[in-house]
Amino acid sequence: MKKNNSNTSIKFSAKLLLLVAVLWLGSCKELLNPRPIDLQTDAVSLNDAADVQPARVGMYSAFRNIGTTMVIAGDATADNLIHIGTFTEYRELTNKQITTANGQVSSLWAAVFRAVYLANFVLEKLPTVSGVRDTERKTVLAEARFLRGMANFIGANTFGGIPKVTTIDQLKNATITKATKQEILASVLEDFQAALTDVPAFSRNLNAGFINKNTVNAALARFHLYQKNYTQAEQSATAVIASNNYTLGLFSDVVTKDFPTESIFELGYTLNDDPGTLNDLFIGRRELIPSNNAINALRASLEAGDRRFTIAFDGTKQKGNDNGWGVQKYGTKDADNNNIVIFRLAEMFLIRAEARALQNRVSGANSAVTDLNVLRTRAKAPLVVGGSQAAVVELIEKERQYELAYEGHRWYDLVRTGRAQAVLGAFSPNWNAKYELWPIPLSEIQRNTSLANAQNPGY
Amino acid sequence: MKYSFLRFILVLALAGWGGLVAAQQRTVSGRVTDAQNGSAVPGVSVLIKGTTIGTQTDSEGKYQIKTNEGRTVLQFTFIGLEPQEISVGNRSVVNLQMSESATELTQVVITGYNSTQKKDIIGSVAVVNNSKFRELPVVGIDQALQGQAAGVQVTQSSGTPGGGIKVNIRGNTSISASNRPLYVVDGIPVFDGALTNGYGGQTDNALAFINPNDIESIQVLKDASAKAIYGSRAANGVVVISTKRGKGNNRTVITADVQRGVTEVVKKIDLLNATELLDLQIEAVNNAITANPSLKNSIGGPAQLGLIKGVTDATNTRWLDEVLRKGVYQQYQISATGGSDRTTFYISGSLRDEEGVQLNNRFTRYGGTLNLEHKANNKLKFGTNISLGGTRNNRVVSDNTVAGVYGPSLRSLPYNTPANEKGKLYGYNDTNYPGFPNGNPVGEALLNRQLVLGLKMLGGLFVEYEIAKNLRFRTKGSIDYNAAQEDVYNPVGTFLGSIPGLGGSGYGEYSTTSVSTWLSSSTLTYNHQIGEKHHFSEFLGVEALQTNIRSSFVNGRLFPSADFTYIGSAGVTDDGNSSLSQNGLLSAFGEIKYDYDEKYLVALTARADGSSRFGPNRKYGFFPSLSAAWRISQENFMKRFSFVQDIKLRASVGYTGNERIGNFQFLNVWSSATYNGLSGLGPSRVGSPGLQWERTREMNVGLDASFWNGRVSVIFDAYSNLTDNLLFAQPVPFTTGFATVQGNIGSITNKGLEFTLSTVNIDRAVRWSTDINISNNTNKIVQLASEQPIQRGFQSDGVGSTNVVKQGEPLGTFWGFKFLGVDAATGNAIYDDYNKDGIISAADAQPIGNAQPKLIGGITNRISWKGFDVSGFFQFSYGNKVLNFANEFLLNPGTDLRSNQVRAALRRWQKPGDITDVPRYEYQNNKNSFHSSRYIEDGSYLRLKNVTIGYNIPKKWAAKVKLTTVRVFVSGTNLWTLTRYSGGDPEISTFNETRGRFDDTTIAQGVDFFTLPQVKTLMGGLTISF
Repeated sequence: MKKNNSNTSIKFSAKLLLLVAVLWLGSCKELLNPRPIDLQTDAVSLNDAADVQPARVGMYSAFRNIGTTMVIAGDATADNLIHIGTFTEYRELTNKQITTANGQVSSLWAAVFRAVYLANFVLEKLPTVSGVRDTERKTVLAEARFLRGMANFIGANTFGGIPKVTTIDQLKNATITKATKQEILASVLEDFQAALTDVPAFSRNLNAGFINKNTVNAALARFHLYQKNYTQAEQSATAVIASNNYTLGLFSDVVTKDFPTESIFELGYTLNDDPGTLNDLFIGRRELIPSNNAINALRASLEAGDRRFTIAFDGTKQKGNDNGWGVQKYGTKDADNNNIVIFRLAEMFLIRAEARALQNRVSGANSAVTDLNVLRTRAKAPLVVGGSQAAVVELIEKERQYELAYEGHRWYDLVRTGRAQAVLGAFSPNWNAKYELWPIPLSEIQRNTSLANAQNPGY
Repeated sequence: MKYSFLRFILVLALAGWGGLVAAQQRTVSGRVTDAQNGSAVPGVSVLIKGTTIGTQTDSEGKYQIKTNEGRTVLQFTFIGLEPQEISVGNRSVVNLQMSESATELTQVVITGYNSTQKKDIIGSVAVVNNSKFRELPVVGIDQALQGQAAGVQVTQSSGTPGGGIKVNIRGNTSISASNRPLYVVDGIPVFDGALTNGYGGQTDNALAFINPNDIESIQVLKDASAKAIYGSRAANGVVVISTKRGKGNNRTVITADVQRGVTEVVKKIDLLNATELLDLQIEAVNNAITANPSLKNSIGGPAQLGLIKGVTDATNTRWLDEVLRKGVYQQYQISATGGSDRTTFYISGSLRDEEGVQLNNRFTRYGGTLNLEHKANNKLKFGTNISLGGTRNNRVVSDNTVAGVYGPSLRSLPYNTPANEKGKLYGYNDTNYPGFPNGNPVGEALLNRQLVLGLKMLGGLFVEYEIAKNLRFRTKGSIDYNAAQEDVYNPVGTFLGSIPGLGGSGYGEYSTTSVSTWLSSSTLTYNHQIGEKHHFSEFLGVEALQTNIRSSFVNGRLFPSADFTYIGSAGVTDDGNSSLSQNGLLSAFGEIKYDYDEKYLVALTARADGSSRFGPNRKYGFFPSLSAAWRISQENFMKRFSFVQDIKLRASVGYTGNERIGNFQFLNVWSSATYNGLSGLGPSRVGSPGLQWERTREMNVGLDASFWNGRVSVIFDAYSNLTDNLLFAQPVPFTTGFATVQGNIGSITNKGLEFTLSTVNIDRAVRWSTDINISNNTNKIVQLASEQPIQRGFQSDGVGSTNVVKQGEPLGTFWGFKFLGVDAATGNAIYDDYNKDGIISAADAQPIGNAQPKLIGGITNRISWKGFDVSGFFQFSYGNKVLNFANEFLLNPGTDLRSNQVRAALRRWQKPGDITDVPRYEYQNNKNSFHSSRYIEDGSYLRLKNVTIGYNIPKKWAAKVKLTTVRVFVSGTNLWTLTRYSGGDPEISTFNETRGRFDDTTIAQGVDFFTLPQVKTLMGGLTISF
């Protein structure tokens, strides 16, 4: 171009620039608003009938996260496990040097309130969603109440008093104060009773991954046992046992299989979504292995019978402080027994046995001893004949260890029966009465100033 | 917002344009030649001073120009040559010779979208030329910056070749968004992060794909004046990289370059031998039984734990020696550069191959570059730059992990051996295997395949058109494509391949990632002047870019045998994924610069950015800056100080932003949740629709001075920056159902001083020059949503985590108990009861040090005599603390017996009355190994980074073999380090919680967790050109 064309070319360029600019601004919307691929926003997550089942599954999924840490709490805080791995959060539990910064402590706390949040989400939103069949609505709401109640029950037994969360209001929940253990337990009972009315009856078409009336009765049985309401505990346990929906199969099935015939409620994993936490801790990395106490109980005497399959010995592992024993209940990641059991029939017999014993029906027909012998028979272990109330209560404590080891019961049992000091004090010189509760996570107290003075005593 | 901004820039720009000059004319002509060899210099700009009338020399160096009658002065300028002003007088022919720029003042500095002469710079810009790093064995441009520029802190992640490198410019501005600067190569912003996950700190680094020897110079933009043109991406500084291009002097120069050498780890940690360790462990067990007699029932005694004098210590394996070796380093490059007055080119090919000092670790890079420019006519110019890089990285698991090679080689007990007498390696299930968690480090190195194949393609095309005199339109399209394939196989016998459930019987993983960014940018620049003294320069631009990140992986387990190593043979393939994420940026930007008689300079720069990463209400941001400079040396009253070349006072203020957070963080998000074989939905994040960029308000004052013909030059800068709207996943109580909420909370300040001094101390037959840079930065978190510390970093015993983010403290604050010493009576550690409640609990944790240095810098001395030259380059960091986290294993007072111990363990407390700083060893007692200031050490160091001795063979000798230059040199890197740090190396990586992306965050910097120390390199090199 020649020089005298410069004006023309300026105009031409200005047009070109304008065109480019317009094209750019046109593409702006697309460029600045790419579509998310694996996400859905809050607004669409529960607002029509098709969203109900996904939200329900999400609720169970959140509850499932409690399972792993509950097992760790129940067994590692007690005398069933020792630590030989590298993670101090487990070592603190087995060595009874639990700190307020412990990672397992905050995991369980978080999982409880996460489950409560999802239940509250369903309880708050579902009533207003249109187009949902009435039965479905009622059922899912009842499931939400049960799961909330169960989460709070575990929370209250682990931490004592905890905040009572009943809404999904973020601001309110962020500054909530601690309720007493009694208040929490009252709300738990209310949730269980409400659930009992509306949850569906047992059906052979559904596996024990979802709840039904029996599940709620099982929860009530455990609740009343913990509350020392022995009559109600016996009633609820009997309701489950008498439903005849469950049978005691081989004990080895409890160890090696998901959904054995006695399973009332278990947290369902498939091979694909199993995070492998427990089997990694117990078998893969051997972070936690059976203690001598547990080995003696399950293996050294004949009392445990088939329950000895709960743990197994591998000579190649025995070296240094590794005794070579491993917990079998969760298998390996590839094995089909990764579910975490919440309730099974055997526990109902144990609850009823304890309730009966403490109502002074130690032996004879429909007594503690009959229930114990149901389990002993199944385990091919010597039958018990009875004795004093105290002796039978002690038998039941042992029986619970044989039967329920590594299902997250032991520490809760010893604490509720007042036996923690005697048993765990002998197990570890570091034992202190403060370890009857886990501490409230330090981070939680820091983040919520309303909990400033809420730490459990001794921590 | 964006429309009004565009209008604003347009109005300002138009207001400035104008004033074309016309007058009576006559013709002047002449020829420009190179003072060195007499050849023609085409392309020289010839301008009549005080006007916009000008021309360029043609291919024979000739020009012709019509000038006014009277006192005409012609200005001749050419990049890299000393500009000249010639008074024409009555002459009609003006010939002249031009020589290479003698003074730095006229050096052209690329400032991003534009370029300017150094003397006219108003902002704070550090320039690092190729000569500073070409004989250093640096892998990438980030590494090349170490110690070379004030205010730029470069930390290598470890001695692993091709690994990540942390670069911080003027401190850390962000808690959770990236703290990495923006890298721009020839106008293309390039991806600089890790493409694969890696393990611990051992990530890959996309910048390692670019060969630093293809780089002409690196400009580091540091203040608002220089950076604001990059708007929302500029808060962490901008590194502008210019690759080499051809010179239009009709000569083609071919250069070949060979470097070969050996590498070795700078320090091997001194560990106990088998006997020393056995005595220690027996003592620990006995102490435990004394303290708690009931233990005797469960563990027996030392013998039951396998600790038997004379038996256990019969073997003494030095594990470090088993896995570390001397590596071979080699690099070859050949390049050609040249061109005519219309077409110039630079073309190069290179190969770099570096063996790691760990067995089986190797990094190889192949690269090629082509830069081509063509002038179609006086107005139209176009060109391309294409750069290809391929890497092959044989990694071994290492750094920031207890597993893998280096960590286990420190931890493994000397009682074990890596292989049996027949040389067969012990595998995971072997009874002689050291066992989890140590693993057999030799097996971990040799048996695993962990190959990363990387590819980078960087290509750009530009067209530049001179619409009218001095009014140029330039448009550029480019693509930056990065891809990595990670091919992993862990056979049975290795840790991952043997763990039941994970590998069980072999474990394989194959993953791919690609990050591609397309960019289109157009700028319009206009330079003009009104009268003689009012000079204007304006430019205006628009830009759009989009990044697509695609990734996928698949895992396989249960392989039939170790001969089947690909996932096709796996028995179970139950884990896989693929994903896509996108983000875009749409921007307009501009700048107006004005100077009066080159004495008073003012610039206004601004950019408006729209980013897809921000909430619907906060899509657009505006980042302006204003700066001014006063060249005191141009004042008449300064003329009498003839030794003063230049004194310039600068000041700038402005805003920059940081938009580098993940995508879609503003959305309330539900994602897939599974249960019992069904799929459902669970909320994964609470969104914040108001989420926006982090904004940094920057203020800078500076002084540039140059005396005695440039023999002494000084740059001084002081700055104070405040970053607010910090992007942060604010922890919320779990009672909300969530752990964090993403929000803009809090603010951070960075204040600092920078000083650069360059002197030529002797300039005779012997020439001695010195470059010194020293800088200081003070970082502080001024405000957060809550005063409570937010725990981050590694999990640590007794106190939660190793680091905190806390109001009033700097980033990188270490957290833990304060260790007061060892109780001489009991041998137990004494910790500070911070809250005075009588119990040592997590609530007693407190800040126990900081990883950020008080001073950093570098000193380079160069001495040359005839053809010889020697240079020595020291680099230092002062006042930073290092957390020797590996010592929580290697100096654990007996907590477990699975780690070897460092020599310091020998000075442990043994009997009442012992005064020492190492507590009593007691098996299984946690309390003496709580995370405390006992593990914090002074990380200051002074390092002789490089010494190079070179010789240029005289030209006349070289000419006999038809070469123009022949240079031989030897160079040593990391030869000597002065430090009090007891670990392997005080220069260590940063840990990051987001898997693999260790250098994106600064929260937990300075943590040494089994980090492979840097390597020492000794090499020789030869460069020839003809």
